[in-house]
Amino acid sequence: MNRADLERLLDRLVDATVLERVVISFASLLFAIVVGGVIVLLAGIPATCRDPAFVFAGREFCYDPIEMYLTLFEGAGAFGSLTNLGLTLQETSVLLFTGLSVAVAFRAGLFNIGTQGQMVLGALGSALTIVWVAPSLPENVVGTVVIVPLAVVVATVIGGLYGTLPGLMKAYADAHEVITTIMLNFVAMGIAFYLVRNHVGDTTTDSVQTTPIPDFARLPPTIDGTRFSILVLLFGLAAAIALYLLYERTVVGYDLRTSGLAPEAADYGGVNAKRNIVASMTLSGALGGIAGAMYVLMVHYRWETDMPPLGFDGIAVSILAGNNPLGVIPASLLFGALKGGSLQIDFALGVPPELVEVLRGLIILFVAMPEFFRMIGSYAGYGTDGGETDG
Amino acid sequence: MANAEPPKRLGPVVGLVIGLFVVLVFAVVLVPGLRELGADVVGIVDASYVRSALRFTVPIAFAGMGGIFAEKSGVINIGLEGLLIISAFTAIAVMWLLGDQGDAGRMLAMFGGVLASLLVTLLFAIICIEFKADQIIAGLAVWLIALGFAPFGSIIIWGTVNSDSVGSFDPLSIPLLSDLPYVGQVLFRATPPVYLMLLAVPFSWYLLNRTAFGKHLQASGEDPKTLDTAGVSVRKVRYAGVLLSGIYCGIGGAGLALNAGQFVGGGETITSGRGLIGLTTYLIANYNPVGAFLSAFFFAGLDALQLQIQRVPGIELSSTLIGIIPYVAVLIVLTFVGKTRMPESAGEHYESEE
Amino acid sequence: MSDQTGARAGEESSTYAVEMEGITKRFPGVVANDDVDFAVERETVHALVGENGAGKTTLMNILYGFYEPTEGTVSVDGVPREFDSPRDAMDAGIGMIHQHFMLVKPMTVAENVVLGAEPTRFFGLLTDETAAIRTTRDLAGRYGFDIDPTDRIHETSVGEQQRVEILKALYRGAEILILDEPTAVLTPQEVEALYGMFEELIDEGKTIIFITHKLGEALEAADRISVLRDGRLVETVRAAETTREELASMMVGRDVLFDVTSDPVEYGSTTLAVDDLVVEDDRGIRAVDDVSFSVQAGEVFGVAGVDGNGQSELVEAITGLRPVESGTITFDGEGVTALSRRGRIGAGMAYIAEDRQHRSLVLEYDLLRNGLLGCQTLPRFSNGPFIDWDATGEYVDDVIAEYDVRPPDRDTTARSLSGGNQQKFVVGREFERDPSLVVASQPTRGVDIGSIEFIHNRLLDLRTEGIAVLLVSSKLEEVQRLSDRMAVIYDGQFMDVVDPDDVTEEEVGLLMAGERPAGGGQ
Repeated sequence: MNRADLERLLDRLVDATVLERVVISFASLLFAIVVGGVIVLLAGIPATCRDPAFVFAGREFCYDPIEMYLTLFEGAGAFGSLTNLGLTLQETSVLLFTGLSVAVAFRAGLFNIGTQGQMVLGALGSALTIVWVAPSLPENVVGTVVIVPLAVVVATVIGGLYGTLPGLMKAYADAHEVITTIMLNFVAMGIAFYLVRNHVGDTTTDSVQTTPIPDFARLPPTIDGTRFSILVLLFGLAAAIALYLLYERTVVGYDLRTSGLAPEAADYGGVNAKRNIVASMTLSGALGGIAGAMYVLMVHYRWETDMPPLGFDGIAVSILAGNNPLGVIPASLLFGALKGGSLQIDFALGVPPELVEVLRGLIILFVAMPEFFRMIGSYAGYGTDGGETDG
Repeated sequence: MANAEPPKRLGPVVGLVIGLFVVLVFAVVLVPGLRELGADVVGIVDASYVRSALRFTVPIAFAGMGGIFAEKSGVINIGLEGLLIISAFTAIAVMWLLGDQGDAGRMLAMFGGVLASLLVTLLFAIICIEFKADQIIAGLAVWLIALGFAPFGSIIIWGTVNSDSVGSFDPLSIPLLSDLPYVGQVLFRATPPVYLMLLAVPFSWYLLNRTAFGKHLQASGEDPKTLDTAGVSVRKVRYAGVLLSGIYCGIGGAGLALNAGQFVGGGETITSGRGLIGLTTYLIANYNPVGAFLSAFFFAGLDALQLQIQRVPGIELSSTLIGIIPYVAVLIVLTFVGKTRMPESAGEHYESEE
Repeated sequence: MSDQTGARAGEESSTYAVEMEGITKRFPGVVANDDVDFAVERETVHALVGENGAGKTTLMNILYGFYEPTEGTVSVDGVPREFDSPRDAMDAGIGMIHQHFMLVKPMTVAENVVLGAEPTRFFGLLTDETAAIRTTRDLAGRYGFDIDPTDRIHETSVGEQQRVEILKALYRGAEILILDEPTAVLTPQEVEALYGMFEELIDEGKTIIFITHKLGEALEAADRISVLRDGRLVETVRAAETTREELASMMVGRDVLFDVTSDPVEYGSTTLAVDDLVVEDDRGIRAVDDVSFSVQAGEVFGVAGVDGNGQSELVEAITGLRPVESGTITFDGEGVTALSRRGRIGAGMAYIAEDRQHRSLVLEYDLLRNGLLGCQTLPRFSNGPFIDWDATGEYVDDVIAEYDVRPPDRDTTARSLSGGNQQKFVVGREFERDPSLVVASQPTRGVDIGSIEFIHNRLLDLRTEGIAVLLVSSKLEEVQRLSDRMAVIYDGQFMDVVDPDDVTEEEVGLLMAGERPAGGGQ
């Protein structure tokens, strides 16, 4: 490939809308990693440590960003132990659902920030269902086959209903879903906390949590020493593919998407836009609820307050995936790896694992500004600057 | 598009309701007979309660009033919460570095917080105005970055997500005025951030309604092209609006942290959603800073109640449930009371044709 | 300062308010203005005519400082000027009234007038509201404009908004007023009032330049007329010394036939019948008030009227987007009053919506996906719950080719198309579905002149093919030219149904303003 060919290719990359998203996602990732690295480097100055990573210009730097990233991904299991891989895949599996939850709403032009709340309530619903129903079931495979689907269904319904709420507010009262879903997150956490502490929780402990679910309701670990169950991963992958087909191939998916993006055009096309907006939010909420069930069945084996912010991670996953259900698969793998590896950088290097949350925000930030990358692209001389063709 | 319907003016209605509440609170505190009665009934509404409610109002009201400037100019800033966090963290960090230097040190810490918030806001403004970022997503990113960065920084500095306890603002009595019966102890024996807030409310109202800049802000959010053709730079107006929101959040966040004397980085951090409540106060008040302040005071009053109620024996009310009242209130207002009309071009990028 | 003495000398000697010499403006790939010499005498009304795309607006945007010319010079009152921004042009006494009004709707008339140059008190700290209102009232009084400075813009009529725009320019000290297509949105009576205002302004020493593509207006209102074609200035003539035909041939570059007589066609059976229809608007106010009419196969039935008189509600009720309060709609002999929108699409009703960008297109979608809009459930495009993208793709490619949609690429998003191409695509999608009724609402709004002609011809083709057409437009010209019968709607009622070839513009103007001609009426 000579230089001219390469430049033509780069021109196409900068112009093409399809490839553009992929390029932007990768570039955002790269920028976020670089900025995150700078933050870690600078954080190494005030931090106190026994043996600094290196000394430069008389200053002690506690952390070496490159080493940190290597540890992060090694710890995530790419080259690490089977246990680490399990941890990564476990995170990935739940993130698939929260990512899909956000993506489904986003596909329809709706911004569901409420996945976290839907997940919290879904998790509580499934945990309580198991705690209440399990005693009347045999403690064997039969019990598992009954209780696991039941818990998932309950979580789906609860999450779905909790997504319906902002959907209704959006469609019929014109209340902005960004605001309502943020508020509903706080309400969900408050209600769950109140219920578990005062009414339905484990009274034998001071922690705000339910009693643990019995062994037969726990999904069997696939990798020893971890809680990762391949069933959840497969379920998530199937959901991603099914949703992709729904949106790309079916009339229902077309109607859902059109209704959210352009309600008036949907009405024009013979679709009840309001009902479809509610449906999109319900579907989104249901996926959030499922994520909650998976968390209980596979990760934590009970509901406990202060669930990890998997719902917010879902936003980053979806945005990085260009809100494409298939794109959610690699994006959740990446975030799963970040989460899996974050413990490792804490253990091995003493870098606070909260760094991963900073990276999450940075990735969202960079994906939000495609123009930034287009400008960089055109400064470098690639892409034809067509300008606005609006007449 | 041809929606000639004048916007429903719901701000005044809600403002009235909140106003009545405030009057009630003050009446209970100030009128001698009522006060004892009130004390018997509620047992908690007294000067110290109102004082603590005012302190809690600081971050909410500053976030709310700041948000008005940004959104009126056409840039939706949902990163208010993140700005509060950044400012609160920075202020405490500066305090910790300085050691106890008295009020001067605390003001310096506050200044540090405002500066940090302003810096992040500047980045946000550049991203939104120059790089045409989706404002909602960029604002969300600011929030999430702050939510990760503050505990990250806390661990670096203090070893845990929570800071060491540093000094906090002492109440500052204004001579003579603070000797006034009842009012004196509420309004004139407060911490500097509270005074700043009480000054910022009328200042914001005047800025928005009685200055050319206020008119330009409104035009920039409603119809930027018109403002542009009238010879006013939309870019400058939008930068000014967004940066003002950063300064306000800076004061609010630093005020919150310095009133408390500590930064808490766990969970939702010390701000625990107050920036988001601030976001809703101006929606409830239809972009009126006075209404936003009153809503903020109402929510902060609930917040303070939540703490005080635990001291009262015999009342069985879950503080968690009281804690979600602001959020539920916002949902009810948004759904049933009516639609707040956002500025026509809020959230949209504007490109000058020159 | 030689500059200033020069300026003073120039002011005394030059009889021209504006002199533009050798103006060339190039955009990437286009020459919008090509060596144009354009001069306007002081205290005259000067019309700038030409087809859309002839470069009129570009030339005026250069004068107003919106664009910098690639070559050439601009002089105002004999002084050479270089404008970097509209602000510079304003300082030099030039004001521009855009076709789309530049007014902030929730603000008052006075606030709009002073926007960007507010009178202030206390060393600029506070705005002086009373001064703004007083100044606006004084200005309006001087030019005989009837307007209340404290009204909010969204409460005022289109004519009043235009006056606010003129006041805005005058407030900024404009001596030269540029008006871009000022009559496009006015009723004939409001147009007359506008010409009256021109005279008042000239009497006060102002100079007026107005852009139009309507030759009649130029002849009536202007002292001089400059004709632009393909970016070049053809000629500047005195209005008193030219004719409509002469101007038209200058404008188009060939002789023009004015009367496109539509051949009478045999009407078929009644396709659409509307009886005693009552429809409410979003606020629950009666917008369509007891309207009855019918459209025959092979007929174009036009509805003329000023925007906002119930046209939108009427069209939405017929196409199934708005519930009916009372009355019936019959389509091809079947009652469809309660039929869903989807049902009506299936029954063969095509609809070109007035709000193309929100109704008939999803701007975020590519043309392939837009081609499916409304057709999702038609057996031709779907297979049970699954979309047949291959069939859709073929259909879309056909539409793009037949309706000359540019760029001819089904993967481009609707947003990136120009207004004309967007509308051609919508028209193609709707027409190619073999409808028996086409409802066309404002089909050429915001569309370039080439596309207008194209769409008009297609509408007439449909008529020849025996399809019923309901045409709703606020452009009187358009309705009059294309319709076989024409109704005039005012305040939700049909004032009259007339033969468009048999009625004068004045008569229609009165009907549009809600006045029945004396002795006439129903």
